[in-house]
Amino acid sequence: MIHHIQNKIYHIEVLPPKQDSEKLEKDLEIFSNKYLRVMDSSYCTCITDNTMGLLSFQGTEIIEELDLPVMSEQVMIHLNTFHTKDDLDNILDICKAKGIRYLLIITGDGSERLPKLQPSDVGATDVESVTSVELLKYINHEYPDTFVLGAAFNPYEPEEHEFEKMKRKMKAGATYIITQPLIERNEVVDRLLEKYPEIPVIIGTWMSRKLHLLSEAVGYEIPENAEYDPISTLKMLHKLYSGCGVYLSLLGFKTQYDLIKDIWV
Amino acid sequence: MKIVVCIKQVPATNDAKIDPETKRIVREGMKAILNPFDTYAVEEGVQLRDKFGGEVIALSMGPPKAEASLREAISVGVDRAILLSDRAFGGSDTWATSYALSKAIKKIGDIDLVICGKQAIDGDTAQVGPGIAAHLDWLQATYVMAVEEISSSSIRVKRMHEDGYDICEMSLPAVITVVKDINIPRVPSLKGRLASNKCEIPVWKPDDIGADTSKIGLNGSPTRVVKIQPPPPRHTSTKKIEGSSIECAQSLLRELRLRSIV
Repeated sequence: MIHHIQNKIYHIEVLPPKQDSEKLEKDLEIFSNKYLRVMDSSYCTCITDNTMGLLSFQGTEIIEELDLPVMSEQVMIHLNTFHTKDDLDNILDICKAKGIRYLLIITGDGSERLPKLQPSDVGATDVESVTSVELLKYINHEYPDTFVLGAAFNPYEPEEHEFEKMKRKMKAGATYIITQPLIERNEVVDRLLEKYPEIPVIIGTWMSRKLHLLSEAVGYEIPENAEYDPISTLKMLHKLYSGCGVYLSLLGFKTQYDLIKDIWV
Repeated sequence: MKIVVCIKQVPATNDAKIDPETKRIVREGMKAILNPFDTYAVEEGVQLRDKFGGEVIALSMGPPKAEASLREAISVGVDRAILLSDRAFGGSDTWATSYALSKAIKKIGDIDLVICGKQAIDGDTAQVGPGIAAHLDWLQATYVMAVEEISSSSIRVKRMHEDGYDICEMSLPAVITVVKDINIPRVPSLKGRLASNKCEIPVWKPDDIGADTSKIGLNGSPTRVVKIQPPPPRHTSTKKIEGSSIECAQSLLRELRLRSIV
């Protein structure tokens, strides 16, 4: 992952079509166009996994179905704990077969319609529910030397608790960290960088003007700011966290994509 | 084994609007989903078909757009689907609906098992499954949490109660209604969803199923809704638990136990 930072490779979030889409073919076309555009830009496409518990199609099945090209350094799959064991293994097998190496392992958000991995599914005997820690351990154990596994860091959670979790994620096999989106300097993230100087950290950056969505996504009240300018924020975060990578959440492909190419040079 | 799974498209929202004149749900412009309880019925039908062979058919009655829920059933493995849709069916209560569905089941023919969700989340009556059994004069078991055994002539199921469960054995054909504990419904795959878009779903009208029009729609519905009003708003509150991690966990556990959640 350090290679991504050294080569100034943006991580660009792309949301797959939702399961209840009434215009699925069109949504798949839009997804495909975004994916290919990120490939062409030599950035890294990061495909989410049922964000906020909303049922969506899996990145792996879309890549297979649309026969999208996979450049190992340019695709990252988010993988959470809301799957059946069969689905989880199927996703991992497709990733391995397609040469997808980068996985971001998260606990994720559930919903009524999403199954949840059980401890026995991932060989965990000492826990009552599966979190990203158990999932990291499982993948490391079942697919040794296959994937580059990352973990998420939420600076909006109670700090002590979040650092404790991060310690366990690192022990379980995470080798890079992606933070929840920032909109300004964050002291908790500063302390994360101090604590893990050797670990590549990718700073999440909120690219939507709708700050209330960020509040809903991270579960923390962020004051609404009508003046919020994502591009200026991105520039500011580059300066503040110059040794880190950047993950762009909700980037506008029509209005913002062309603006980012000259920012990180 | 030939299985029919009866499903219903319901409003996706809890803010369903009621027409003050007809006392019925205003479905126009409202996002619709497959009734969540029916997803368990569909999954059970598909699992039984996968285990014992045969065919599983999804059946629904509703407006033309209810076809979307039938396609969802196909996307998770149902072999084919049939929609009962006609103005004459409009306004049917649970008795008239179960009559129409039973006529369609008879028309499909040679059915061993009918599976329904325990109830629909819009009406919450839990009457259509038993109604179908009554119209067909078949045995039924409601609130089924497990199919323990099934053969060509009988089925043994576990029925859920507030205080436990009981085991029922019935001869086939039969009707069962299922609860959430019975399985974990699969999520549709992209391949399945794209394939379902190409399937043809026949639309049957009253004549197609030989339905007596005096037994369907408003005319065939003995139920009359005389008054309807929204439930009182739910009051929610937030309680902040403070202290060390262990103290907070203990307090939380106590609060949950007081509410019988754990």
